[in-house]
Amino acid sequence: MTKRLLIASLLLATAVPAFAASGDPERGERKSTACAACHGKNGISVSPEFPNLAGQYPDYLQTALTHYKNGKRKNPIMQAQVANLTPADILDLAAYFSHQKALQVKH
Amino acid sequence: MRPLALFAAGAIGLAALGAHAQAPAAQGNADAGKKKVFQCQGCHGVADWKTAFPEVYRVPKLGGQKPAYIVAALKAYKNGERDFPTMRAMTNNLSDQDMADIAAYYGAEQPKVAAKDDDRTGAKK
Repeated sequence: MTKRLLIASLLLATAVPAFAASGDPERGERKSTACAACHGKNGISVSPEFPNLAGQYPDYLQTALTHYKNGKRKNPIMQAQVANLTPADILDLAAYFSHQKALQVKH
Repeated sequence: MRPLALFAAGAIGLAALGAHAQAPAAQGNADAGKKKVFQCQGCHGVADWKTAFPEVYRVPKLGGQKPAYIVAALKAYKNGERDFPTMRAMTNNLSDQDMADIAAYYGAEQPKVAAKDDDRTGAKK
């Protein structure tokens, strides 16, 4: 019994990192054409209404995109943009914009 | 003819009044904002600070963000359009002027775009 538990917990421990998938910035760049129209290719947006994305935390970007997709966060433009994004696309885009540099933690 | 002209003038006047009635966006003041961000700093002023509930992710960086976007986000939290309990509580007592000032403070240093990289508008160099 204890042996089985041990094996189970070992399996779980090795399985967990697989879920913490991270995106690939280069793949993200290829998928970012639509984003660039408003947020800028370099993640600095073209209008005061649209947020800068360059250097933002990837997990925040991932959460925001996921919330647009599942309707928790509502915005007609973004809702349409994320409709066809897969979770992998979202990770890649988050990786791409977070790898740029602009936004800072300001105290 | 004359009543019609009068009516037209009245309609234009009313339209102008209506446009005027829409309060202009508050002008933000970064110095005033600096004194209003004490509540924001506990999370947004700490590198890699994470939310604890209901989901865990790092709270967004605000330095260099667009002021108009920050104001829109704060308003959306205040009126419940954007749903996050902590931000709802934080924005509850903020006036439009507070929001504009806070946004001006965080957005004071806008990131520079090198001209060679600025293909945002498609303008040829």
